[in-house]
This record gives sequence, structure tokens and C-alpha cells, in this order.
Amino acid sequence: MGKVRRYEVTAAGDFASVLAVLTDHLGLRLLSHDEGERSWLDTSTGTLGRAETTLEFRRPTGDATPSLTWACEGRVLVSDPCVSSTPPVQASDLPATPAFARLVALVDGGELVLGPTVSSQIAVLACLDDEEKTTARVVFDRSETLDGVALPMMLEVLPLRGYEDDAAALEKKLKRSVALSASSASMKELALRGVRSGHGASSGHDSAALVPSMSAAGAWRAVFQNLSESMTRSFSGVLSGNDPEDLHAFRVAVRRIRTILQDGDDVIDPESRDRFRHEYRWLGDVTTPTRDADVHLIEFPELVATLPSSRREELAAFNDVLLRHRTDCQAAMVAELRSLRRAEFGTAWLSFLADDDSWTGCGEVADEPVLHVVLMRVNKANRQFVKSGRKISKKSPAIALHELRKEGKRLRYLLECFGPLFDEKALASILKPLRELQDVLGEFQDTEVQAHALLDLAGELASGEDHSALMAIGGVIEQLGVRGADARASFSKTFGRFDDRKVQKAFDRLEPRKKKR
Amino acid sequence: MKVLATYNIKGGVGKTATAVNLAHVAAAHGNRVLVWDLDPQGAATFYFRVKPKVKGGGKAIVRGSLELGDAIKATDFDNLDLVPADFSYRHLDLWLDDAKKPLARIRRALRQVSDEYDYVFLDCPPSISLTSESVFRAADALLVPTIPTTLSLRTYEQLDRFVEENPDMVRELKILGFFSMVDRHKRLHRRFMNELRTAHPEILEATIPNSTDIERMGVHREPIGAYGKGSKPARAYEALWSEIQNRL
Repeated sequence: MGKVRRYEVTAAGDFASVLAVLTDHLGLRLLSHDEGERSWLDTSTGTLGRAETTLEFRRPTGDATPSLTWACEGRVLVSDPCVSSTPPVQASDLPATPAFARLVALVDGGELVLGPTVSSQIAVLACLDDEEKTTARVVFDRSETLDGVALPMMLEVLPLRGYEDDAAALEKKLKRSVALSASSASMKELALRGVRSGHGASSGHDSAALVPSMSAAGAWRAVFQNLSESMTRSFSGVLSGNDPEDLHAFRVAVRRIRTILQDGDDVIDPESRDRFRHEYRWLGDVTTPTRDADVHLIEFPELVATLPSSRREELAAFNDVLLRHRTDCQAAMVAELRSLRRAEFGTAWLSFLADDDSWTGCGEVADEPVLHVVLMRVNKANRQFVKSGRKISKKSPAIALHELRKEGKRLRYLLECFGPLFDEKALASILKPLRELQDVLGEFQDTEVQAHALLDLAGELASGEDHSALMAIGGVIEQLGVRGADARASFSKTFGRFDDRKVQKAFDRLEPRKKKR
Repeated sequence: MKVLATYNIKGGVGKTATAVNLAHVAAAHGNRVLVWDLDPQGAATFYFRVKPKVKGGGKAIVRGSLELGDAIKATDFDNLDLVPADFSYRHLDLWLDDAKKPLARIRRALRQVSDEYDYVFLDCPPSISLTSESVFRAADALLVPTIPTTLSLRTYEQLDRFVEENPDMVRELKILGFFSMVDRHKRLHRRFMNELRTAHPEILEATIPNSTDIERMGVHREPIGAYGKGSKPARAYEALWSEIQNRL
């Protein structure tokens, strides 16, 4: 049996024009033409990839039923409609057919992990002989990542058993008619690279390439692009829900974008700024319950460990409650992230970043040097933060500390996102005590939020006759209370380290000194 | 790998339609399926639009000088392959007669692809000959389409008797008879079906109707499931396949 041959389509023209060449000029018969999203699945150890097979979950545009396709070297082993509109997570979620039974055996009880997801147009064509029998299949594929990174158009020639010579003849004809270059990468591999690299992006904590002389609008735009790429990289992981770090990274990027939007008055077009602030707030809100659920699950074992050993076993059932709650939150979040609202907003955001006109003459200080503009905003944020912090006393309500935390985040994100503009030493001397202070404020808030959430979830256990688990949860909440009190007690000292004269003076040194000649 | 042969001593009873349609159903369910068209008329080969020619000749397969895998052609359907007919198969009896251990020849050829397929359908020519005996030896089950008429009743019983009288040859061969080309409007068909079911309760419940939809396979040159999915005869083949699987 001949191996599948892959080509990157280097011809000028869009999908439709290349498809027209294949059908009209080369006389290939169009068997199907589908549009929609598709995701690749594999086990966490890559079992399916090692077996040279791919498992694709396809969600067509419109009302058509999603399907699951297992293929080996481009040849479909089985393709079945899916009852569920979400990809299978476990082998037991796969359709009960003989072929999928082989897949289940291959997966061997493992979980299926969602890989890259792309939006695709796929045309399958047949090369026919004089009996109108298919002698080779051609798969023509144009895909882009969910955030609009276009992947190269790919064309695969699949020889059919017993017709290898016909496939070779077809390849020759194809090369004469369409500009092609041989490719060793499959669309799955291209998608993986596209999603991961986001075309040259780096991790969420990396900064955009900024220089002090660039315009404020240019710098804001660069920061947004950098943060958007960070979101893109973690997006498929957020949908799969396999690693809480993906959601965390995604949310950090969202929060940073919100902060930079907030401080983008007179730099960004006001209408766009208002619209995107509103949408990013929504995006942050829809991911919050899942992140909270992740935190419960991550921290629960540590909290349980603080209890006497006799009580720990009583909490096994509660761990199941947390898991169920997390699954529910994840499903609700994925539905929102796959919604039309999110798609339209994502497209509008990328168009906004890509459109030069959106960044020309868009605000009073848009064309001023960024360093001047951003230093004014950093100093303003710092003054506000220090003023609020000094007002905090032992009697201040918890909400006052939560508000202070938000102000601290705003300052921190401004400093971090525009970090390359500042003097390194001055920046480091500010960020160190600021991060410590934020950790304290974060610990205080997290323990409060967790205690409330655990109390709510514990209601699920309250209906049972066994109240020992409830008692144990009471113990956990008590521990959270102790941690929260410790955090609050250390606030004054930690804030003092930030409100120190040396640190505050460092704000005056953020502007890099000009080098002497 | 299970080997199923569609067989009847009598011709024109729907053997080829059975092999082609059941193979298509089995493949659509995700099984890896091979059809071997042993009938020199090549009707199954025609239905799959494959040219009726075995490169190197059918004789080479029987003799073992050509691997069965080298003669296989993919059909237009996923997981469904074909060993096409060759007009030279009209001499199959003679080749087998010349060969050592003739009854094991087909089984031996199939053994070469046993890892590649879940089911093999042998579409046999109508007769009792060395070819059919070789098929009986290779197969796990005979699928016997039977038209509910007096003559068919006679041939079904002939086959039954043959299998009973030759236990060494057929080993654990299952005979899975079912009614084919049934016209329920005909009182005679209904009567014979009742009589034959009484005499042979092992006959399968599923029946294949006499239908122009099935005859149109020759026009479409594909299994009925491809052009008439959901039609009554297509559903009948689905039901038949389900019952056969339970009996295997």
C-alpha cells in the first residue's frame, strides 16, 4: 500500500481558486467539502501518534452532527457521528463499534487529551479511472488556529491499495498544475506548531519588544499583541482542561489586557477601549468559577493534611464533590468560550490589533513617546495604591484589602508589561516588595473565597446522614481562617516594606539614564 | 479473521448481492473486510467498478506463487477491499485438481492476510465442485440465500445433506440459510417459508426482499447501502448482518 504524500500548496490564490483547478482543470471529482472546527486527540503519552494514527473530533459549521474520525496515514479506519457535542475524554466515551473497540484497546484505559484545535475547510476529491472507480484520493485542507493564525494550505495524495501507479501519475499531473512543495509535516503537526508558537510569541510573562522612543499607541499595541499571543498559546489547553496552568496563564493574560486597556485612555480609540474592556471583563468572569474550582482541588490535599489523620479519610467524599463541581464549571466555561460572542469578540480584537487605521490619531497622547506617557500612569497608580494602603488599619473591612489588591495588580501589570522601557535596577527594587505585598493580599483573599466556596459546596454533603465529613470540612475552613488571619497580620509589615522611602524613590529612577559618551 | 462464503448450488438466488451488501455493512461498522470474487462471471467485481483482472493470474494465487495481498484492490469504501474476479477462474477446478492438497489451497491463501482483515466474504460460483469443497474447508460459515420455492428447498436440503455426510471436509462449518428475493405478496412464498422454517428452525429470521432497489445495484455499480441508505432492502441487510454476527 502506498504511503500518503503531503504537499504544501504554495500557489497564489485562495482555497476556492485552487479547488477549482483541482476539479475543473484536473477533473477530480469532489466527494465532500466541509467547514468547521476540528480538534486532534491523543493520550497524554501520545499512544495514538506513536501508532501512526490520528483521532479527530470534527464539529461542522451549522447544524450538522459532530463526528469522530480515526485514521491511519490519512486513511479513515472509522468515522462515526458523535452523540455528544464535546470531544470524548475517556476511552469509554468512544462509540461502541468494532473499529473503536480497537482504538479503546490502544488507548488502554487512558484518558484522551485534547490537542490543537483549528478551524478548517476540507475538500476530499477522487481521481477516477474509465470505470469511474476511485484510484486515488486527494485531501485539500485549509486551516487556521482559533485565534486566526493561518496555517499553510495542505494537499495530501492518498494512493489506494492496488492503484499505486495511478496515484503516482496523479501526483505528476498535480505538480504540473498547482505550485506545490513536498512537506513532511501533517496538518496536525502544523496546527500544533501554529497554536504553540503563535508565530514567534513566547510565554505569558515575557514582555513585548518596546523602546522608549516609540509612540504610546505603538507600545500599547505591541503589549496587546504579546498578551494576545499568550492567550492563544494557552487556549486549547484551557478548552481541554487537562492542566490548570493553562487556564491560569490565560487568565493572567486577560487581566493584564484589562489593566492596559484601563490605563489606555487618550492612547486608544475610546469606543474600542470601552467595548473591549467590557468583553474582557466578561471573558475573565466566565473563567473565574473554573479557576476557583482548580484552586480548591490543588489546595485541598494540603489543607486536609493539616487535619488529624482520623479526620482525613472522612473527606474522601468531599473530594468527589470538588471534582464534580470542577467538571461542571469546566463544561460551562467551554460552552462560553465556544460561543458566538467569544468568536466575534476574538475576531474583532484581532482585527483591531491588525488594522493600522485603528492606531492612527486615536487619542490625545497616542503619538507621544511611550516612556513619558507610561511613567505618568505608573506614578498615578502608585500614588493611589500607597494612599489606599496607608488607610488600611486592623479594623478595615476585608473589602478594603480586596480593593487594595486590585490597585496593586494594576500597578504591577503596568510595571511588568512595560518593563523593557524602565531602568532594570529601579524596576527590580520596586517589583520585589510589590510582589511580596501582593502575595500577602492574595493569600488573604484566597483563603476568604475558598472558605466561602467550601461552605457552599459542603451543602451537598449535608443531606446525608453522616455528618463526619461536614465536621471535617469545618476543620478545613478553620485552617483557612487561621491562614487568612496570618496574612492579615503580616500586611502592615509587608506594606511598610513597599511604602519604604528607598522603594518610593526608585519610582523616580524608572526612566533609564542616558549613557555617557 | 472470520471467513464467510455466500453459497448456493443454484444460481440467481442473490449470492453476489449478499456478499457485496453484507461486506459493505460490515465495513461501515468499522470492520476490516475483504471480498474475494471467485465467480468467473465477476459480478461482485463489477459492482465495485474494479477491472476483472488479477495481475499474474488467478492460477498463481491458487498455486501460491502470487501472494493474495498482491492481488487486492481497494474499493471506493473505507475498510473494504476486493480480490477481483478473473475470467480464468473458470479453470479453478482444474488447477485445484492438479494441485497438492487442493482443499487447503484457498484457506492457505487467506492465511496470508489473516492479520489485515476481520471478515472475508467469498463469493462462490454456483455448483458443487472442487472449488466449493475448497471454499467449505476455508470458511467458518456458509451464507446460503434461499428463494422460497420448491427447487430452492431441494437444493438447501442437498447442501445440508452434503455437509452432514462430509464432516471431515467441512469441520466446524456453520450453515446459515436465509430467505432471499422474498415477495410477501406471493402466497406460495409465504407458504414455503413457513414449511421450510418448520423443517429447518436454524434458518435465520432476517429476510431479504425481492426489490428493484437491489436490482439497481447494477446501474449504480455500488452496494445498496451507498445509494439507498435507509431503504427497506438496505435495512434488511443490516438486520441480516446483525443476526449473522450473533450466530458466529
